[in-house]
Amino acid sequence: MKRSDIDVAVIGSGPAGMAAAIRAKEEGAEHVLILERQEQLGGLLHQCVHNGFGLFYFEQDLTGPEYGHRFAEKVKDLGIQVLLETMVTQISPDRQISAVNNREGVLRLKPKSIVLAMGCRERSRGQLNVPGTRPAGIFTAGTAQRFVNVEGWIPGRKVVILGSGDIGMIMARRLTLEGVEVKAVVEILPYIGGLTRNEVQCLHDFRIPLLLEHTVTEIHGQQRLEAVTIAKVNKDKKPVNDTGQMIECDTLLLSVGLIPENELSRMAGVALDPLTGGPVVDQWRETNVSGIFAGGNVVHVHDLVDDVSREAEIAGTWAARFAKKEEAEKEKKILKPGRNIRYVVPQTISAQHDVTLYARVKDMEENVTLKVGDIFSESLRVVKPGEMLKIHLSHSQLRQLKDDAVELSVEGAKRRQNG
Amino acid sequence: METEILIIGGGVLGAAVARELSRYKGDVLLVEKEVDFGWGSTKTNMCIVCQGADTLEFRPEYHRSRLIWDSIPLMEPLCQELDVPFKKVGELALIRNNEELSKFQKLKSRAEKLGLTGHQFIDQDSLRQMEPNITREAIGALYDPNIAIVDPVRLTIALIENATQNGVKVMRETEVLRISREANQFEVETNRGSVKCRFIVNAAGISVDKIARLVNSDDFVLYPIRGYVGILDKNSGGFIKHEIHMRPDAPGQMNILTPSVHGNLFFGTTMQPALRGDCSATGRIAEIGLQNVRKILPDLSEKEIIHSFAGFLMFRNWEVGWHECVVQASQKVPRFISICIGYPGVSAAPAAAREVTELLRREGLRLEKNERFVPIRKAPPVFSELPEEQQKELIARDSRYGHVVCRCETVTEGEIVEAIRHGATTLDGIKFRARPGMGRCQGGFCTPRVVKILARELGLSEEKITKKGRESRLLLYKSKELLEAQL
Repeated sequence: MKRSDIDVAVIGSGPAGMAAAIRAKEEGAEHVLILERQEQLGGLLHQCVHNGFGLFYFEQDLTGPEYGHRFAEKVKDLGIQVLLETMVTQISPDRQISAVNNREGVLRLKPKSIVLAMGCRERSRGQLNVPGTRPAGIFTAGTAQRFVNVEGWIPGRKVVILGSGDIGMIMARRLTLEGVEVKAVVEILPYIGGLTRNEVQCLHDFRIPLLLEHTVTEIHGQQRLEAVTIAKVNKDKKPVNDTGQMIECDTLLLSVGLIPENELSRMAGVALDPLTGGPVVDQWRETNVSGIFAGGNVVHVHDLVDDVSREAEIAGTWAARFAKKEEAEKEKKILKPGRNIRYVVPQTISAQHDVTLYARVKDMEENVTLKVGDIFSESLRVVKPGEMLKIHLSHSQLRQLKDDAVELSVEGAKRRQNG
Repeated sequence: METEILIIGGGVLGAAVARELSRYKGDVLLVEKEVDFGWGSTKTNMCIVCQGADTLEFRPEYHRSRLIWDSIPLMEPLCQELDVPFKKVGELALIRNNEELSKFQKLKSRAEKLGLTGHQFIDQDSLRQMEPNITREAIGALYDPNIAIVDPVRLTIALIENATQNGVKVMRETEVLRISREANQFEVETNRGSVKCRFIVNAAGISVDKIARLVNSDDFVLYPIRGYVGILDKNSGGFIKHEIHMRPDAPGQMNILTPSVHGNLFFGTTMQPALRGDCSATGRIAEIGLQNVRKILPDLSEKEIIHSFAGFLMFRNWEVGWHECVVQASQKVPRFISICIGYPGVSAAPAAAREVTELLRREGLRLEKNERFVPIRKAPPVFSELPEEQQKELIARDSRYGHVVCRCETVTEGEIVEAIRHGATTLDGIKFRARPGMGRCQGGFCTPRVVKILARELGLSEEKITKKGRESRLLLYKSKELLEAQL
């Protein structure tokens, strides 16, 4: 394949990138190329050695590496080109890609279309502004996960985990199985940040204390972490006086949120949604930059890998069609987040085709009605920020839309106090 | 061990003195208690060379003022010789009301009488053009074109490297414990053995008074002052182009926002007395920091803050709002020079180093020119800053430059290996020399990779790799080790 002939270039080879590349190839794009910064395909799946992957996509309970392997085999079978250990350093608005690797040096590529599938990264201590000293022993949960599951190192023997995101809860279980004492999972909100199934399977089943409405107020230790102070928080998430207690520990893991990784998107002039942190996309996962598509956690952070792959397949399909000059119709209606909705993806829909909407609520509420304008309503027992809402709308429902903009909202019910 | 001159402290001042002394013959040894250079007050410096208020409020009767002023013409050529970044950004001191305007007018005319030139008033329209994102409350600004930015730790390391090129010896992780005086020399006891020397330059940063007390020299009293600095994501790097100074609304605060040479923004917001060495940034200070910086950039999101830290400076007479520095030979102990600028140590370093040399001469040091002195030091390549052609050449020469290890700052394996070759032995050592982990993910992606490279290059197990030396190991156990211990 000549570098000038690439139809679809996919940036990243995690569960989004591989799914997008496979769909693009199946859709008829002849030359599909994956650019991956690591030594092998799969992105972060390698370090996710726990199960729970593929329950919907393959209707099987797989581990992360197993899930990734299935896609990687297909990538190989379909003859999709792969450049490993290749870091994309720039994408221009006219779809020119610059990348670096240690075999070819600096590469320039000009594919007909691009799928952004860079995934997400973890929020760091700096962004949290956790007060205190700067000793060794503070890691994001994902970095610790790599050390434990890929590199074979255990960071410490007494661990506190700040934040109840899924990776944090999964690491609580993983480290317990390694003989580490996990002293507590500390969550500032009145409910967990991740999935209920992880709270049950990772914390309850292993009797790991979960402290809701608490946070770390100070870090102690000059060289290696020696202790953290945790305190109860009030409704404004501010520490309550005299509730501080010191917990001796040598390691603090942070699992306090994920941020879509959109540095390259920005360079390409892709408009980002401040609510998701990812690109504003239409139903076909095309961004505002013609020919640049996006799918998976780079668009918004999903709960399940299966949804990541499914969403990226939409981007792969339409990136292939774009490369073949078959473009989707451009009629667009805007979806707006209404009451108790933090965000909704896609941000625009065509209203001519079936669509699945992904949304997150701001606050936990019980006995509510989920509404899309006046064309859809569904009663729900409970909605939680940690669990994504999926709403399937058929084209016949969508044809009833009269206005150019429609609101997604959660109505009724008494709001559960936040904090 | 014996040396003619012992320099205690490898911060920017100790390093500048070492480099200055390497122009002359004679044995010089510099000892640093940390595992790398510039890790005390130097690394918490705001990166600004001669912040405007300091030059404008120039007081010839103050020693510190003269050092800052004398350093201005020296800094740019120094950075050129040492191949470290230096960027003239200029300062805009914002004016929000007539009271501030008249205060600045007085300062400017006083400064002009003293021979400072280049300051000019900027009206609101021009200010908008120069800085479209800053607060609408500013009705104008006083512009000082002389203000520049540097990377203080890189400058320190470059000074040390150039000094060692020219014969200075350095020892790291070497802490001075006791000093005894004999007839014509000092015997300095460290954790790594004792050093006999004739002259001591005490540049121990926040411990400068403690070291002076070891020889019973108590000519000065210093007060520890804690400053708070935040770093903003490179995405907001373009929000301002100049260093921006706003008069603080409360005592003990400062309100400065500046570009860094690496494309981030730095903001500094509080300077208050605190317990020495307590570098913990409290939540309250962080909050004030954000409030203050929003007075300059009202639309700033807190999500843009990628890192924040507190640093210490030693001040004389903090109460008067203007402090004096220490660059002096002891009144009681011959051949013992102490140097401590407080703030801004980086700005004053070039002139202060010359002055220390002069003080040593007066104390009896014979200054004989080192004919082989080479002022030029070459920095290791920074891949992301090179044009594409040079990037290609570099990768062709060493393929490790084609392996990007840090996504956020585009740092390659080649640069990390080079940093280790230049003396980095820890995760933080690599971070300050080559910048992996300095970006928005704060090492989330690159930490395991850098640890691996460090272990490989140093020939150590990954368990032995530390964040910053001593007891700061990152990985305490092997997989399954804890389980086996429980059996």
